[in-house]
Amino acid sequence: MKKTQKIVVISLLISLGLVLHLVESFFPLTAVVPGAKLGLANIVSLIAISLFGFTASLQIVVFRVVLGSLLAGTFMTINFYLSFSGGVLSFILMYLAYYFLKDYLSLIGISIIGAVAHNTAQITAAYYIIANRGIFYYLPFLILLALPTGFGVGLVSHFTLKHLPYSITGGNFDDKKSK
Amino acid sequence: MKITDILTFYDKILIILVIILSLVLLLIPFYYFGSTSEEGEMILKVQQGDELIKTIAVADSYEEPIIFEVEGPIGIHIIEVNEGRVRVQEAPADDPLKICEKTGWIERKGPIIVCVPNSLSLWLESTNSDIDGMSF
Repeated sequence: MKKTQKIVVISLLISLGLVLHLVESFFPLTAVVPGAKLGLANIVSLIAISLFGFTASLQIVVFRVVLGSLLAGTFMTINFYLSFSGGVLSFILMYLAYYFLKDYLSLIGISIIGAVAHNTAQITAAYYIIANRGIFYYLPFLILLALPTGFGVGLVSHFTLKHLPYSITGGNFDDKKSK
Repeated sequence: MKITDILTFYDKILIILVIILSLVLLLIPFYYFGSTSEEGEMILKVQQGDELIKTIAVADSYEEPIIFEVEGPIGIHIIEVNEGRVRVQEAPADDPLKICEKTGWIERKGPIIVCVPNSLSLWLESTNSDIDGMSF
């Protein structure tokens, strides 16, 4: 893949992540369990991990979180730190899972790992801010809810990658498990 | 194409492990605090940071609702106690997610209303519980 091509794909993925972040706020999952969300922006992280290496995917995640908070007006506030910690931790765990367990787990499993890590990181970060152990009351519900949302996100990423043209994937995604 | 073509054997194991993990986490509080007895009077505790700023007997709210304000770095919360239930009536306009407002009413021990940007937390406790399980 040429360098220009790579830059274009990376910026497309970042803008896609920003839009998905906005779309996500239309689904009021917070009414079910406080703090819950669909994690649609994770689709972009998963695609990035499958297509590029560590540095480029980390760039995509960090830029998405920073630009998203700039657009929402929450840069450098507590909300920014919460989404940053959740985003980066879930990205790192998903990358490790993809790197080491690629042959065992499909994108669905990797996406579930990311969703669970995201919830755990956010609850822990929130615990350090409000200093109240009661917040862990919601953790089991959030983890349980991470299963269907992570499953859906993994499925969407899988099908998206399957239908991306060669000019975007550069042949980096080999779909050997499902023919 | 069927879903079983995508899902691997280890995916299924992971899903089962996550279900087990969440169930274990769900059961730990019961193991620690025993069954949630509803005896005794319920009291509302309001904590900001690691400082307990307000304690209110919920029983007082049956005659007329108690409404009070709590101020934090991003604005003022209006909290309503009505017939044994508690909610955040209005979150500050600067709160982007307004999670505390969307949590709605709480009326028993366990659930907690949090507003992370204001480091505010509200929860109910019964007076006869000798373990202070929720806060430091």
